[in-house]
Amino acid sequence: MTTALARRTPSPAAAYTPPPEGLVHRVAGLRRTSPGRLQLILAALLTLGLLTGLIAGLTAHAASSGTAGLGDRAQPLLVKAESVWSALADADTTAAQAFLAGGLEPDTLTQRYDADLAAAGTSLAGAARLVPAGSEAATAIDGLSVGLAKYAALVATARADNRQGLPLGASYLTAASTLNRDTLQPQAQALFRIATDEIDAGYDSAHSSWWLIAMLVLAVALGVALLWAQGYLSRTTHRTFNVPLVAATGLFALLILLTVTVFANQRNHLGEAAREGSEPVATFARLHIAVLTERADEALTLAARGSADREKDFDQTTATIDFGDTRLEPAHEFAVAARQQHDAYLATHDQVRGLSEGGDYDGAVALAVGDQASRQFGELRTTLEGAIDNREAAFTEQIGAAGEWLDLLTLIGPLLALGICALAVFGIRARLEEYR
Amino acid sequence: MTRTRLATIAVTAALLLGAAGCSGDSSPRYDEATAAPTAGQPGAGQSAAPAPTPANCDPRASRRPDGALPAPGQMPAGTLMAEIRKRGRLILGTSQDTLLFSSRNPFTGRIEGFDVDMARLVAQAIFGDPNKLEIKVIAYDQRVNEVLLGKVDLVADTMTATCDRWKDVDFSVIYYEAGQKVLVRKDSTAKSIEDLGKKKICSAAGSTSYDNIGKVKSEPVAVAKPTFGDCLVAFQQNEVDAISTDDTILAGMAAQDPYAMVIGDRFTQEPYGMAINRNHPEFTRFVNAVLVKAAQDGTWTKTYERWLGGTAPKPPVAQYQ
Repeated sequence: MTTALARRTPSPAAAYTPPPEGLVHRVAGLRRTSPGRLQLILAALLTLGLLTGLIAGLTAHAASSGTAGLGDRAQPLLVKAESVWSALADADTTAAQAFLAGGLEPDTLTQRYDADLAAAGTSLAGAARLVPAGSEAATAIDGLSVGLAKYAALVATARADNRQGLPLGASYLTAASTLNRDTLQPQAQALFRIATDEIDAGYDSAHSSWWLIAMLVLAVALGVALLWAQGYLSRTTHRTFNVPLVAATGLFALLILLTVTVFANQRNHLGEAAREGSEPVATFARLHIAVLTERADEALTLAARGSADREKDFDQTTATIDFGDTRLEPAHEFAVAARQQHDAYLATHDQVRGLSEGGDYDGAVALAVGDQASRQFGELRTTLEGAIDNREAAFTEQIGAAGEWLDLLTLIGPLLALGICALAVFGIRARLEEYR
Repeated sequence: MTRTRLATIAVTAALLLGAAGCSGDSSPRYDEATAAPTAGQPGAGQSAAPAPTPANCDPRASRRPDGALPAPGQMPAGTLMAEIRKRGRLILGTSQDTLLFSSRNPFTGRIEGFDVDMARLVAQAIFGDPNKLEIKVIAYDQRVNEVLLGKVDLVADTMTATCDRWKDVDFSVIYYEAGQKVLVRKDSTAKSIEDLGKKKICSAAGSTSYDNIGKVKSEPVAVAKPTFGDCLVAFQQNEVDAISTDDTILAGMAAQDPYAMVIGDRFTQEPYGMAINRNHPEFTRFVNAVLVKAAQDGTWTKTYERWLGGTAPKPPVAQYQ
């Protein structure tokens, strides 16, 4: 009402200026009489009450949909992006190892490559459903889909050539690997980065901080108005308490209590979701990619037989791996196990490097694609994948808990505000009627 | 920058030597990490012979072997052969995608071919065992550098002995005579490289096969790829219309692609030699003795027939400085 009045305040320059005897004049005139003042107080209480109810509902709704968006969209996108990226890295590694093994590709490697390609395709399709058309993420996904088909075709040709004993297969494999490492993986990395950014944005939107500030300002104003109105009535009438207004104040306190409780719960669980869920997930995801890169570097260095030394890249990647990262603390056992398994793998890799540098190429290849290295690396992968699943579950749990009661507040907030308004009308109209 | 320098080298070589002889692959001779070798720099107790100057250069003429080959167990002290024997293996620099000369057998994973077998002869002479060989795969444009830096004992990798390269490395006597041709699709109507004007022709970066494409009058478009295997992939993916390099390499490609054929006559001469560090003239002499012996006792002919098929021509005649 106040806003409506303010909007209708006549501007002196306007062509159709209402006469000074208009609404403003009349409203201003109300201040001079007791019933007029009561009417003004009622109007202010109703306005603040209705606005508070509206904003309480909207705040709860924004927070609820922001929280749900985190769980339904941002986090799944991150997991899909990680899955695409690691599947690509693993496919590259597998193809290089199959090449190193010589002869007909070992069954296990063929199956792993097929599984990687299927995982990349499924995750891409899943990711495509999570991003709006035309967005940066959608462009990355389109590029990856096209590139993945080309990659699969190159590897298929390499296999066909290999089966016929044509050395050309090796060149097709190089072309496929170059496409994978130089084009596809950077695109998957970009998608992963976009997903990480969306998670940050998702937390902001779930917090709904601006809505809460608006809500706070209105609640303070309504509280002050309620208390002041009761003070005024107590001074100007014979009754110390206006019972309906006291009841309205009670409802107001209930509204505030409810809002504070629900949002405190939400913020607590959002913090837990970040600490226990999305941060460890993103960190484990990076570690997962890093160890896959190490394994691919090892295989590609051996496959190139000296023409492309990726040992430097291996060392640089190893330097980025830190299982002591504090963000991994919520999954401590996984981090400890992964560190031990990674150390064991690194020891084997050092042996491979030693053999290769000592001129025993066949020995180095046998060790690199042999059972010991495959088992060690497989255990490490299983641990890291298990850690990601484990933390993802923790995230889902916390996000679910964070969203609890928010929908209830969306409904109850406005209802409580309406109750406050009704009681205010009830309480003040009784006083107004004394002037009839 | 390399391109300009390569072009300069190629042009200089062409000016000095005419069309024949010295026009194989033009590897950059040194990069930032490699110092130019100084004449007379002592190496393993020997002083290097001065490099032949381009004016009197015959790229086919190598160092004359001194006397008969020592027995495998008795390499003279202070020589590179003795050092190699002590190390336990001969390090060969080659490629793994030149079918028939040095390529990876997909069934066994081993690198094999005519070039590799020639190097095995050297291992046999040093150790009495042709398998004491470590194969290091090197990029085409690193063949001279690897020898200069001493990372490999010798390079046998369809490498043309050229006067330009003689400035930096020694070459053994010629062990194979090749020449540049062009490979096209079976349905092509072209009769020679001159008929491929405006078409894309692929060759390996750092080879003068690549530079030679630029000299063709009908102006085909030269496309560079890291290796010749990459060229064949591009050819099969229809990214390029043809591939041009030594007929030996093209024969290996045609053998892998029934829809490809080699056309025209050789338009250059590419005599292959093994590149060896110039600080070890004794090793060049030793390798030459091995190669001459192989030519005389029929090993060369057997190896030729094993890898290249048909009836072997007469082995190239050794020429000395």
